[in-house]
Amino acid sequence: MKNLLRAAAVAAVTALALTGCGGGASTSPTNVAPTGEIKPREISWLLSRPADGAVINIMKKLADDYGKDHPGFKLNLITTPDRPSYIQKLETLAAANKLPELFDTDATPFAQQLAKQGKMVDAEKLLKTLDIYDDYRPGALDYQRFDDGSLFMIPFQFELEFIWYNKALLEKAGVAVPTSLDDIPTMCTALRNAGITPIAIDGQDQWPLERYIAYQPFRAAGPDFVQKLKKGEAKFADAAGQKTVNWMADLGKAKCFQDGFSAQGYSDAQNQFTSGQAAMYNIGTWELPSLATDKLNPDVRDDIDFFTLPTTAGSATSANEFVSPSGIGMAVNAKTYDPLVSDFLKFALQKYPAEYAATGALSPTTTVETTLPANATPLYRKALDQAKDLGSKQAMPWDTQLDPTTNGRLQQELVLLVQGNISPEQFTATMDNTIAQNAPKFFK
Amino acid sequence: MQPNRMLPNRSRTSVLVFLLPPLLLYGAAVLFPILQSLFLSFFSWNGISDMEFVGLDNYVRMFVADDIFWRAFLNALLYLAICLVLQLGGALLVASLLTSLHRGRELIKTLYLLPAVISTVAIAFLFVRIYSIDPVGLLNQLLHWMGLGSLERPWLSDVNTVLAAVSAPEGWRFTGLYMLIIYAALIAVPKELEEAAVLDGASRWTLFTKIRFPYIRPVWITTTIMATTYGLRGFDIPYLMTNGGPGQSSELLTTYMYKTAFTSTDFGYASTISVFIVIECLVAVGLILFLLKRKADS
Repeated sequence: MKNLLRAAAVAAVTALALTGCGGGASTSPTNVAPTGEIKPREISWLLSRPADGAVINIMKKLADDYGKDHPGFKLNLITTPDRPSYIQKLETLAAANKLPELFDTDATPFAQQLAKQGKMVDAEKLLKTLDIYDDYRPGALDYQRFDDGSLFMIPFQFELEFIWYNKALLEKAGVAVPTSLDDIPTMCTALRNAGITPIAIDGQDQWPLERYIAYQPFRAAGPDFVQKLKKGEAKFADAAGQKTVNWMADLGKAKCFQDGFSAQGYSDAQNQFTSGQAAMYNIGTWELPSLATDKLNPDVRDDIDFFTLPTTAGSATSANEFVSPSGIGMAVNAKTYDPLVSDFLKFALQKYPAEYAATGALSPTTTVETTLPANATPLYRKALDQAKDLGSKQAMPWDTQLDPTTNGRLQQELVLLVQGNISPEQFTATMDNTIAQNAPKFFK
Repeated sequence: MQPNRMLPNRSRTSVLVFLLPPLLLYGAAVLFPILQSLFLSFFSWNGISDMEFVGLDNYVRMFVADDIFWRAFLNALLYLAICLVLQLGGALLVASLLTSLHRGRELIKTLYLLPAVISTVAIAFLFVRIYSIDPVGLLNQLLHWMGLGSLERPWLSDVNTVLAAVSAPEGWRFTGLYMLIIYAALIAVPKELEEAAVLDGASRWTLFTKIRFPYIRPVWITTTIMATTYGLRGFDIPYLMTNGGPGQSSELLTTYMYKTAFTSTDFGYASTISVFIVIECLVAVGLILFLLKRKADS
């Protein structure tokens, strides 16, 4: 027994020592232009983007170009496209104080803590020093900002989220494009009566359903609602909160989503829409290559169109304001920031937008024009044009706003609410309680 | 401890020398993490903040203030029960039938063992398809063909069926493995004993309960312990199939602990849950040994 106690004490001390190593010193996050010699070395970017996507391909090419003039330089791109796995990887590395030179993160409360601890380089200062700050779309930068307006992540994308729909199916059910969010439940009932699945949704990944709960409050109270909600200053029990809770329950009652949606994945949902079984599908411009080119199933190609997030009566935000994310952002590790990293970023960030726009995607900057792919349908241009006329506010996805515990619980409870397993009252009580318990720890 | 008088001194030393490396490895790989979890469970720590000593707060929260914890605990027990029935019950049944089979034993053994060698991820995806309703999966299609259309449902989205639906693949998967172990024990039962009992007029049931089962009891205890601890640690299939949902309907202690640690970054509280899981496993094994020993003694 004595030995056991001694072993436990040793273990405890070792553990303490190990964690004690975790809080290493870092260079000042405000010094964005480090002076000194550029010593080429291998650097890494831990990222969560599609392995063969435009961002990775372009950055690989730019790194190769940079390496030609700087022998010994290499950029390792370590990608984990599955977001939950990525976040776990990131958080574990952060806990071990082993973050690489560059890493992806949304403007989450966790990232904000990292920024507060001086572990990330101030991106606003960095972009200003490189003289490219003004090139960026304000919306693309705003998406990356923390609540206090500070900017620590650099965007590489700019996307717009629409509700895609099948004209023929809407016609068949005798319904028109909704003019208000409040029209959608009745629309679903009509579609169901005509034997059509109203909305195809990827329930497995949970964020698509979480988008829906953000819509009503964004219209009713503007972007501030979620900022207050996550800190416990606003509640689901408030008017704007109740409106969205009841609306979600109504969507469920009207059977808006396909049967068994909670176990269906991303491609299941997309297949339902592109095969003409489902009438609507809420997704962003990152799917333009599959929805607005000749890759789209010819049977539905002429029937597909999109509308932007409908407003509501007395809406606080206007029709040209909706979800327009600039994707997961790239943070620069302050601890490993040196003349080399600085010089490479200067090189890459200046060349990136032109290369990116050439792939048919919307650049986070306004300096370049997107090239239409050769196989694009007219819808492609229409979708891109929406970016030209955007309002100043944008609906933030809630999964990047709430503290992780509340977010996890919200995703779970939402499924139950929409499936009718719990009442709006139960949902409200559970969620307000969860926020009250968890928010203070994250938003001290 | 009584020194073993059978071993001369020198070979005792050499035994100790040979035992030491695995013991050290065990200590580093198993005991140290458990002790570290125990240590962490008294702290509030999100991985990047300073560790804050909170005493028993995490334990109080777990037992008193956390509704998901209790839900996950009950789910885990139900998951265990379903797995045990499928694995041990199924294994015993198939093994018994196999002993009375004269041809094709090897083929059947192989077929039953097959799921145990398929990767977990493949099994999870396979069963997601089987349970699907839109597009119609195998299970719902079978029900439809049998005229049981009223039972068709999205098995993984229905809060009443999801737990059984995620337990079944885990049970199915290892039935073959335990079947093999029990089968090996059953064919080792001396034929003379069985023949003598049959001559005395014992029925098949008496034969099983009085001769065969007591004979395989030691193996049965081992398999039960194995199946129970595996069941209590069950994680991958539920996590991959439903991620604990819908709601908390298929949340197990293990998936909840994982999410608490890596999604909520609440490492202190996750350690508290893991300490509970360790104790739970020890209690379960103790209980099994106690019950089966008492039965054997009586």
